[in-house]
Amino acid sequence: MGMDLIYAPQFEDAQQLVDLTDRISAWPELKTASKGHMTVATFENRLYGVPLYADVSALFYNKDLFKQAGLDPEKPPTSLAEVRTYADKITALGGDIKGYYLPGNCAGCNIFTVGPLMWASGAKIEAAGPGDEPLVGDGVKQVLQWTRDMVKSGNVHEGDRTENGETFHLQFGSGKVGMMGTGNFNITLARQQNPKMDFGIALLPGMAPNSSASFIGGDLVVVPKGSDRVDDAVNFMKFLLSDEVQVEVYAKALNLTTRSDMVENKYFEAEPLVQDVAKALTVGRTPYTLTFFEQINSPQGPWLKMLQRAYYTDDNLDTVIADAKAAMKTIANQ
Amino acid sequence: MYWTRRSRLTGIAYLTPALLFVLAFTAYPLARMVWMSFHKWSLITPPSWVGLDNYRRAFADDQFWVSFGFTLKYTAIITPILIVGGYLLALLCSRGSPLRRLTRTTVFIPVVIGLGVSSLLWYWLFSTDFGLINRALMDLGVISKPVLWLGVDADVSMLAIIASVTWKVIGFGMILFFVSIQAIPTEIHEASLVDGASWWQRVTRVVLPLTLRTVLVVTLVSVIGSLLAFDQFYIMTAGQPQNETATSVFYVYLNSFPYLRLGYGAALSMILALTILAFTVVQLLLTRRSHA
Repeated sequence: MGMDLIYAPQFEDAQQLVDLTDRISAWPELKTASKGHMTVATFENRLYGVPLYADVSALFYNKDLFKQAGLDPEKPPTSLAEVRTYADKITALGGDIKGYYLPGNCAGCNIFTVGPLMWASGAKIEAAGPGDEPLVGDGVKQVLQWTRDMVKSGNVHEGDRTENGETFHLQFGSGKVGMMGTGNFNITLARQQNPKMDFGIALLPGMAPNSSASFIGGDLVVVPKGSDRVDDAVNFMKFLLSDEVQVEVYAKALNLTTRSDMVENKYFEAEPLVQDVAKALTVGRTPYTLTFFEQINSPQGPWLKMLQRAYYTDDNLDTVIADAKAAMKTIANQ
Repeated sequence: MYWTRRSRLTGIAYLTPALLFVLAFTAYPLARMVWMSFHKWSLITPPSWVGLDNYRRAFADDQFWVSFGFTLKYTAIITPILIVGGYLLALLCSRGSPLRRLTRTTVFIPVVIGLGVSSLLWYWLFSTDFGLINRALMDLGVISKPVLWLGVDADVSMLAIIASVTWKVIGFGMILFFVSIQAIPTEIHEASLVDGASWWQRVTRVVLPLTLRTVLVVTLVSVIGSLLAFDQFYIMTAGQPQNETATSVFYVYLNSFPYLRLGYGAALSMILALTILAFTVVQLLLTRRSHA
């Protein structure tokens, strides 16, 4: 079956998935399979699945707005300081135009697009399990300060505060946002929504110049415990990872290949944007924790609470981070 | 004796389908929930006995009591709106005229829509960027920029949800009150008219006392429904901002399913169920007193 990769460790820990290590670990295809997927498909050095589908986050930027603001449309920002500088110029265009987008009420959107800013800045976010420390590194506070400054400086729409994910995929295509973190799925959506908009894709940057990261999401193929058709499932996994399927099924539909060595193909060459977003696979990672929903993805969880306090209040950031850390540790230690 | 025994068996035979239904869909789930509340169970791992740990945890869980307090606040605000509003509508539509019949029908139609569908409708109506409410208010010059109705300010969010729920359910109370008002014998109305009573005096001294039992029943149903509020908050705010609009049932759902703590969720459900039972007993005592 296919499952959201982020929850795989929880099911592996609960011994609900079939251990496939002896059957698949020697496959050469796995050497170039998505690192993020393979990380969460592994539990205590045993292998439980292979990639099915890959999503990555990247920085989408509106080249039309770049030109209007006097910025070079072929030179996207390579650090958060540059994002801020560019955003200020784009916001100065006035009207309903803003330089950036921050989804204020969506935990998943934020781990997808703000999480990589922290990773690129050298920080660690989630607590993997009992005893593990979350929110480690100066990058956490630096990025929170940066987001707070972006909101205070008027670089994001006030309405972003209500974004709970329902309309997240429509924001970039509206043409009113200069830059925003979003996913590869937005290439097609933005084109459908706004065919005349010229846009580019870059990697999500960190505090330091030329630092970058991405969130690798998507699905795994796994086998539920008790299945009578493990052999058939393994054959299907082999099929999915084959050169032909990677190119003629995934790439042809402009979906990301789940093997990094298949990114160079005729379909992606005809679509530079897809090639650009595929680069995120090389710098991407997937959070690894047994309590991802409760720590990170829950609208009631400490991750979103921390971000909302950073974005919309003047609470001391050290206190904000300490409170979130304590809550995440409590969850991880249960 | 033969006939008595046969009558008894016949009665049991008629009752059996209903009894089986109650056993299968009420008694068994309730017993199972009580059992779950004494276990730690994630659904993907086997359950393990923990005794009263879940209950101890519930009583020490600040968020549960914050949610419970919010639920009581929501109930205290929406209940009078629904009762008074429904009663006034019933009074206004109690006489038979085509316009009044049309009004009754129009007000009642939202009642038949599911609460989930209604909540989704109002979620989009209140949408900051795409909603018709902000668009209409801005076009009319009432506001100069969109209002952030949902998920930013807890009180504003609650009022928006109250508006949506009132639209949806006020017709239910209206119909029950209407039927109750219609059941008052005409002679009583005529006698009060002969005595020179004004409309207000007829309403407060004749109609209201004679429909008091219905008022108490509708209040009971409304209170229970509000204490169990979930759909509208799940869909419209997801408990935001910062859990300030997370109702008790929302918190039970969160713990039971996304957090995979079925046992703890069951314990929270039991506490909630006993609270509602207490409210119901008080209400029934009041109803009995009014009947006497």
